[in-house]
Amino acid sequence: MLRTALLSCLLALAAVACANWLTHDFEVWTAEGARRLEVAQQPVSVPPVTVDGVGIPAQPLRALLAQGGGITLVDFVYTHCQTVCLSLGSSFQQLQAALQADHAAGVATNVRLLSISFDGAYDSPAVLQTYSHKLQADPDVWRWVRVPNVTEQRALLDRLGVVVIPNGLGDYEHNAAFLVFDAQGRMVRVFDLAEQQLALDYARYLAKGGRL
Amino acid sequence: MLTATWRTLVVAFAARSTPLRQALAGLVLLALLLVPALRQWLTASMWRHMVLQFPMWMLVGALLAAALSRAARTHIARWNAYGISGLVGAGTVLAVLMVPRVLDLALVSPSIEAGKCGALLLAGAGLRLSWRAAGLVVQGFFLGNVLPMTAVVGQLYVDSPMRLCNAYLLDDQARLGQWLVATAALLAVGWLVKVARWAVQRDAMVVEQNLQTTQPSQL
Repeated sequence: MLRTALLSCLLALAAVACANWLTHDFEVWTAEGARRLEVAQQPVSVPPVTVDGVGIPAQPLRALLAQGGGITLVDFVYTHCQTVCLSLGSSFQQLQAALQADHAAGVATNVRLLSISFDGAYDSPAVLQTYSHKLQADPDVWRWVRVPNVTEQRALLDRLGVVVIPNGLGDYEHNAAFLVFDAQGRMVRVFDLAEQQLALDYARYLAKGGRL
Repeated sequence: MLTATWRTLVVAFAARSTPLRQALAGLVLLALLLVPALRQWLTASMWRHMVLQFPMWMLVGALLAAALSRAARTHIARWNAYGISGLVGAGTVLAVLMVPRVLDLALVSPSIEAGKCGALLLAGAGLRLSWRAAGLVVQGFFLGNVLPMTAVVGQLYVDSPMRLCNAYLLDDQARLGQWLVATAALLAVGWLVKVARWAVQRDAMVVEQNLQTTQPSQL
């Protein structure tokens, strides 16, 4: 009986240790939660991938993010989407309006928006051009790119933890979120779609020289 | 009549399913589960992942445990009084594997997938080696923990408006939730029926004994 008690305790302890590791000290329960926590603790650098887009000649993504030395709010999209991406589109429209208001008020907010397509085969710069025009994207504030090379696109999605799955109806489901990038090309924070204002405020704060 | 047929079937099955055959069946199932195409199919949907793949790995463990020699069983039993260790092990494995992050991780990390399957195999073997020894009280305690946990997690999956796994769709998640709730309910009902039958049989035995002891004095 003593041996049974000992073994049972050991098993329970091992389970607690596993669960503790799995949930980052019982902080998160989902892979997405773990991803966001890990990014907040340890920024993730973008891999060396080449992007091109609306008015943007082919160049390394890192160089694009470094332009102007500011903060970039990134979302992942694909243009023939009808569901979440449209809500993300309207979120980015609201963010764009807020940033334009900053400029109009003479506040130098060094924050820009960048939509990256995860469907680079379909979303050519011309397609992105049409789509961004439809969303009334202001090219000074909100830029659009894709990763033309499939392998590089895969590497980028994997590194940033973007999971895209077909939903069986011809659309894609993906863990849509606001990704905050600094000028060194590091993803420093991931915000939920519901945290739009928080994402914007955090980006403004970083752009003003605030610390991570 | 029906019970008699059922009993004959069970007896016939028990006679044919020798430990060696069971272990072989376990090995065959193990080999099947290791086929990449089948693994791919099972894990392509969230409900198949948890409601089919999980129990299949547990079944492999339970079948392979048949091959353990009498000496090995005696040795294990010393560390497993009333089947407590085995049931604690199986219960904790199931509890940990209900964290939604496991499903996502298992798809992208081979070591997590191996750990998950190995743990399920051991849980299955542990259940088999412990179930009889546990008796109704310990069994009831085990099920009283595991089944409500399964049902609650299932209901969470049904109700959650958010996807809890990046790799699976929302309707798939809701279907898994329904499966989990239904499985927990079915297992609970099955076990309660077993307990009821045991109680009825015991009462019948007691009545019979009373009759035997009281009859002579009445004469």
